[in-house]
Amino acid sequence: MSDNDHVQKNWGNLPEVLDQGVETLPQLLLFQARKFGDRVLHRKKDFGIWQRFTFNDVVEQVKTFALGLASLGVKRGDTVALVGENEPELFWGEYAAQALGAKCACLYPDLTAAQMVYLLEHSEAVAVICEDQEQVDKALEIEDKIPAVGHIIYWDDRGMWKYKHPKLLKFQEVQQMGREFGQTRSDYFETEVAQGQGDDIAVISYTSGTTGLPKGCIMTHFGLFDTVFRVTGAVPMRPFTQYLSYISPAWATEQMFGITMGLFLPLVVNFPEEPETVQENLREIGTEAVVFTPRQWESLASLVESKMMDAGPIRRAFFRWGMSVGRKVNLARLEGRTPSLLWRLIYPLADQAVLFPLRDNLGLQVAYYTVSGGSGMAPDVFRFFHTMGVKLRNIFGTTEMGLFTLHQGETYDLETVGKWMPVLPRLGPSLEFKLSDEGELLVKGGSGFAGYYKNPEATDKAMPDGWYHTGDSLNMTDKKEMVYLDRLGDMRQLSTGHSYPPQFIENRLRFSPFIKECMTIGDQDKPFVSAFINIDIGTLGPWAEQRRIGYTTFTDLSQNAKIRELIKGEIEKVNYFLPEGSKVKRFINLPKELDPDEDELTRSRKIRRKFLEGKYADFITAIYDGRTEFRAEVPVKYQDGRTGILSATVHVNDLGGEGK
Amino acid sequence: MAENGHLMRTEGLHLRFGGVIALSDVSVNVDRSEILAIIGPNGAGKSCLMNCMNGFYRSQQGRVFFGKQEITNLKPHKIAALGVARTFQGMQLFPGLTVIENLLTGRHSYMKTNALTDFFYRPWTHKQEMRERRKVEEIIDFLEIKNIRHRVVGALSYGLRKRIDLGRALAMGPKLLLMDEPMAGMNLEEKEDIARFVIDIREAMDIPVVIVEHDMQVVMDVADRIYVLNFGNVIAEGPPAEIKKNPEVIKAYLGEEQPT
Repeated sequence: MSDNDHVQKNWGNLPEVLDQGVETLPQLLLFQARKFGDRVLHRKKDFGIWQRFTFNDVVEQVKTFALGLASLGVKRGDTVALVGENEPELFWGEYAAQALGAKCACLYPDLTAAQMVYLLEHSEAVAVICEDQEQVDKALEIEDKIPAVGHIIYWDDRGMWKYKHPKLLKFQEVQQMGREFGQTRSDYFETEVAQGQGDDIAVISYTSGTTGLPKGCIMTHFGLFDTVFRVTGAVPMRPFTQYLSYISPAWATEQMFGITMGLFLPLVVNFPEEPETVQENLREIGTEAVVFTPRQWESLASLVESKMMDAGPIRRAFFRWGMSVGRKVNLARLEGRTPSLLWRLIYPLADQAVLFPLRDNLGLQVAYYTVSGGSGMAPDVFRFFHTMGVKLRNIFGTTEMGLFTLHQGETYDLETVGKWMPVLPRLGPSLEFKLSDEGELLVKGGSGFAGYYKNPEATDKAMPDGWYHTGDSLNMTDKKEMVYLDRLGDMRQLSTGHSYPPQFIENRLRFSPFIKECMTIGDQDKPFVSAFINIDIGTLGPWAEQRRIGYTTFTDLSQNAKIRELIKGEIEKVNYFLPEGSKVKRFINLPKELDPDEDELTRSRKIRRKFLEGKYADFITAIYDGRTEFRAEVPVKYQDGRTGILSATVHVNDLGGEGK
Repeated sequence: MAENGHLMRTEGLHLRFGGVIALSDVSVNVDRSEILAIIGPNGAGKSCLMNCMNGFYRSQQGRVFFGKQEITNLKPHKIAALGVARTFQGMQLFPGLTVIENLLTGRHSYMKTNALTDFFYRPWTHKQEMRERRKVEEIIDFLEIKNIRHRVVGALSYGLRKRIDLGRALAMGPKLLLMDEPMAGMNLEEKEDIARFVIDIREAMDIPVVIVEHDMQVVMDVADRIYVLNFGNVIAEGPPAEIKKNPEVIKAYLGEEQPT
């Protein structure tokens, strides 16, 4: 199947919407409402019951609120800020502001009042729509610092029954004002919506800004559309899929999924009752699609682990058995292998007894579209969910350029962040990428980068030459899947000028059961990457015994030819994901265990790089002058406090015939 | 309502247990919109007064009015049906039932069907269930216990169970809420939660609250008006700021300085 066929099939008739002249989110809302009027778009659990809002209901809510905003003086080009948890009113507020041609700035609900000042000032917000007392209190606290904000609107009035402030308005009050405003201006709303253009700013999404002040990234309506087509083109989604909106709309990903894709496909967007009830809500609505952050998936996985720890021994045994069958079958299928007949026969039983109830309890029993958004999560967490039959995929991208890569198809490599997604031709050229000399991912294509709001310097810096500089280092495998290595700032440079990701290599090596600790070597004086390995005698000891490999001491085992061969294989697995210049070329199995008592590790068991470079200087020399073995003398401290010298012949091992 | 604007009023209550005088000539009144606190040292008669208010104890002398109606000799469940709800010092919940079921028991007096019609689940039973569940859900929303609505009460923490107890009192749709030591045995955070709910009950639901409490800090913060009892007598009455300075109260709490 050619790429083109694949693309045609996935998009189906979605692009037709664009033929009808739909360019903005509010236009899309009205267009879809004409088509799907009475079908449910939003659902929110209130008073224990899932309340439904059809397309027509949502249009009515958005329209009255938009007219209310208009009567308050909000006009084309203004900014409306929104802050709160995911609730229908937040979505309606955003559509309403955009309907008037205003742009939105979504803020994280856990920002402090002081942080809010900068974002509200920078975005030039004229109104801020708050969820509840918590947010209103913050807005009122900083009210004198943000004179441009004329109105503070809230929808949950709990605790605010006695609040009185000239700028304070209730969501429903604004809607009432809208109804009155609309009486004399019958087609005001429709006219305003029709004036919107695809290149208008839909949202200013503030990047968290680990260094310096946050940057307001401009997201246009076309930019949002573009990403939706990329995602649906890569992995198809059914219309009216039950989607749970949980990640914050302050994060660009939810702007793309819940807000934009919600209208496009459309989805049934469900809002959790409270952040604490997500788990329950997932299950109640029969979630079919969900996007979580890696952190949220991890906590879901550890929830299962900890609940199983509390379970009795019989249940635990069942769980372990079911998971082991799941591993044999589901992981094999994921890797494109066919599991053996025996496992395939047992699988339905394990699924019925363990895996299905597990998925059911997590509320993922019918979830077919599960995504982790971000720069990659530990593959073990992915494997955990795949084992139980949840086909978790990773999506990766940037706020600036939209989403780039997604795990596609039925077989994909969990160590990667997925394959590049297609771009709908009429929204822009296909995504292209290249890797700079430092290993930085540069991207162009799609609807492009619209820039940072009121910050041309930062815009130029991020896109100096027509390529958007992601600041991330990635690599592509033979199967055209991308591997996320590191933030560019954490890369280390070799004398050849090439940069490599030490954290990535060390973390992946530590995943190996045979490697307890490791340290990569290679700086501006060294031409290639090498590594010190501290083997794990706890697993290698029994491994050697089973294979009748005799050994006496740790030193002896570490230098054993079979062991060195095994470790070499482990390093080669990691090398697969690395660009040529970053591959580990030589390594040494240290003849003694790294020990915090000898200052080689910190008490929290992190390697002390500088200290090790000094203590094992002759090892490093041996690696880089090309010797294959040498006589090493290492000072050791025995448990009774005596010191001595460990003297051993140490082998330097080559990978892929590199080194000298 | 009462002619003089009081929602509840006691007149000259005397309560004796054998030779022990628990209350002597206690006259208090509760306004239609206030948080009224009753404080006093241990054994001052606070809980006795509350028990007289909702009919658990029958005083030997004196009268109790709720609105215009005299309720002195009414049975507790009759008083409850008039709209006087209370929470208890020791909790009286059903530990084996879920939060929702416990709250529904508070709606008992509103349910008009009988066991037989309920068994056959007639349409009116269905309607009633919908109506009552909705009321209960409003309380769940108010008390922010959505995430535990299906949990069994016995498995909940003490602070949460207290909240359910409050929820059940609210489920009765009361006109007046009596709370007996709602914060005893709670940690600071739980106390703050309850204090906020007490204020919200008055503000959002417009239900006056009478609260018997030991924690002076909380009382001073939430109450509009305070009665101080000592050895069965009302020794002071007034807003918190006045009570704090009242020499009688200080004496009752801290004891008298011995003449040297």
